[in-house]
Amino acid sequence: MAILDLNNIRKEYLKGDKKVEALRGVTVAIEKGEFLSIVGPSGSGKSTLLNIVGCLDTPSSGSVLYNGRQLGGLTERQLSDYRRDNIAFIFQSYNLIPVLTVQENVELPLVIERKFSKSEMAGKAMAVIESVGLSGMADRLPRELSGGQEQRVAIARALVKDPLVVLADEPTANLDSKTAEDIISIMQRMNTERSTTFVFSTHDKRMEQHAKRIITLKDGAIEKDEKR
Amino acid sequence: MGMILKIALRNIGRHKRRTILSAITIAAGLAVFIMMDSMLTGVDRMSIDNMITLTTGALKIQTVAYDKEKNTYPLNDSINGSLSALQAALNRDRRVAHVTRRTQFLGQLSNYSETVPVVGTVVDDVADTLVFGLKPYLSGAYFGPDNSREILIGKQLALDLGVGVGDNITLYALTKYDSRNADQFRIAGLLNTADPTINHSGVFITYAAANDFLDLENAVSELDVSMERNSNLTIFSRDVKAIQASLQPQFPLLKVNTFLELGAGVLAITHAKRISGIIFMAIILVIAVVGIFNTVFMSVYERIREIGVLRAHGMKPADISVMFVLEGMITGILGSVLGLVFGSLVNMYLVTSGIPMEKIAGKIATASYGISGNVYGEWNLEVMAVAFCLGIIVATVAGIIPARRASKIQVTQALRFN
Repeated sequence: MAILDLNNIRKEYLKGDKKVEALRGVTVAIEKGEFLSIVGPSGSGKSTLLNIVGCLDTPSSGSVLYNGRQLGGLTERQLSDYRRDNIAFIFQSYNLIPVLTVQENVELPLVIERKFSKSEMAGKAMAVIESVGLSGMADRLPRELSGGQEQRVAIARALVKDPLVVLADEPTANLDSKTAEDIISIMQRMNTERSTTFVFSTHDKRMEQHAKRIITLKDGAIEKDEKR
Repeated sequence: MGMILKIALRNIGRHKRRTILSAITIAAGLAVFIMMDSMLTGVDRMSIDNMITLTTGALKIQTVAYDKEKNTYPLNDSINGSLSALQAALNRDRRVAHVTRRTQFLGQLSNYSETVPVVGTVVDDVADTLVFGLKPYLSGAYFGPDNSREILIGKQLALDLGVGVGDNITLYALTKYDSRNADQFRIAGLLNTADPTINHSGVFITYAAANDFLDLENAVSELDVSMERNSNLTIFSRDVKAIQASLQPQFPLLKVNTFLELGAGVLAITHAKRISGIIFMAIILVIAVVGIFNTVFMSVYERIREIGVLRAHGMKPADISVMFVLEGMITGILGSVLGLVFGSLVNMYLVTSGIPMEKIAGKIATASYGISGNVYGEWNLEVMAVAFCLGIIVATVAGIIPARRASKIQVTQALRFN
């Protein structure tokens, strides 16, 4: 069974007086452990689709099922709980909390989850920091890191709670080639080792090459859905 | 909560300049309020003390008939008939410190070329000093042992008539039997008090002099009572009223007035000053609210993406709100502590050294408030505690609106925000 099931998703915005259709009847099922890339030109609906999958936004019509559970109609509080328990995010511009150290940033999702003791959180955070190659940098602040290091912290933050789905919006867009390769390989390794489902939007051809499935969007609709 | 507090604290530290400016706004407001309240309390205390020690005493007892005609200072409405019973009743009350008798009359004072109307007071030269405090304001000497031809007069009165200590002066008045009399008195001392009436038109003679000059026959028009002065005006007023309430029914022909009735004018000014103090505090609070409101709003605006990230990771809107409210509250605590420390330091100076208000505002301006010389501040711990708590509460409340705004930002919009 698909862990995420999107049926006939439509999303409309009002831009001034003009109605804009960002998604026009998108239907897609995402299996556990997929390494899925959503590609397409700017304005094709990639970010909107990711936001709906991540429950950051709600569709105008259509349904989203997570492990068979209907997400439509959940309250803001329930959606927060859903995101907290199941989904992690990696952003194009890293979005680390500037006043927290690397370790504190990575611990953040666990703090929000409120399930673990301080020492358990520290243990989990240090393990994942080490796995993204940032040993010895746990006490640094984001401003003391390079862009690549910041994105590694963002990946560590996404993976620390062992989510079923990681959503990444253009995760390599701000990185140089070498760093982008490193980031992609870390994500691939996590996908293989932990069976974490990765769904990422990208313009980056290098990322596309590593994807096991590529969904191409055009004008808010799926143009192509190919598995490798 | 730990992480929320940590983020709030570190953000406060991150924007030091802004935090310090906001804290200083609160601190300055708080410190000024503490100083202002201290000085207003000091001025109130001084004007009420002066009123009690120079004019009214704690209680003043006259006949009902005299009370009705008191503006004409009649010499015939004496309390002599009730004097011994009244003194016995007062002696029984432990709250009463001292009692003295006085008789007032209208007269004229002349230096042979000019004549000025005066209000004369006949005093018991020994007991009067125990109830009233004229001596500290006296230049020259108080009444000597042979005082039947001695007079004390207001300093301004002496200046108007061009006389000084040791000079002779003529006093005119109607005797108890309504016959005109004039006699020469030697000026023993000049009174320069905080009460302008005494300075401009007050003369004092003893009963020894008045018995001869006014045919007074020891007629006493009022009995004045002093009490141990409690530092708390409310408690003092309560005690004074209690004595009034116990005495009045025993002596239906007498009128027992407290300083509260006799000094209604001074107390009304005191009340008006309190109201202006409250208005001032309200203005300071509004400034503090705007400062904190602006600081927290700036903080929200700068961290919209951060709010988006926290919300994306599942942080609840209420927790986001708490984080920003905490920032306002912590700034408030910082400002209130600073204000309390600074206000206390300045107040320490005001309490120990005082302000030469007479030199700053001029004698006439200060006399109208019944104050003279240096005005000293007072410690008012209750007001300081209230101001401290109010500083924190106001800062917290001022943070609520921007904090609520922060919690309601759409996650997708927050993440897109640049």
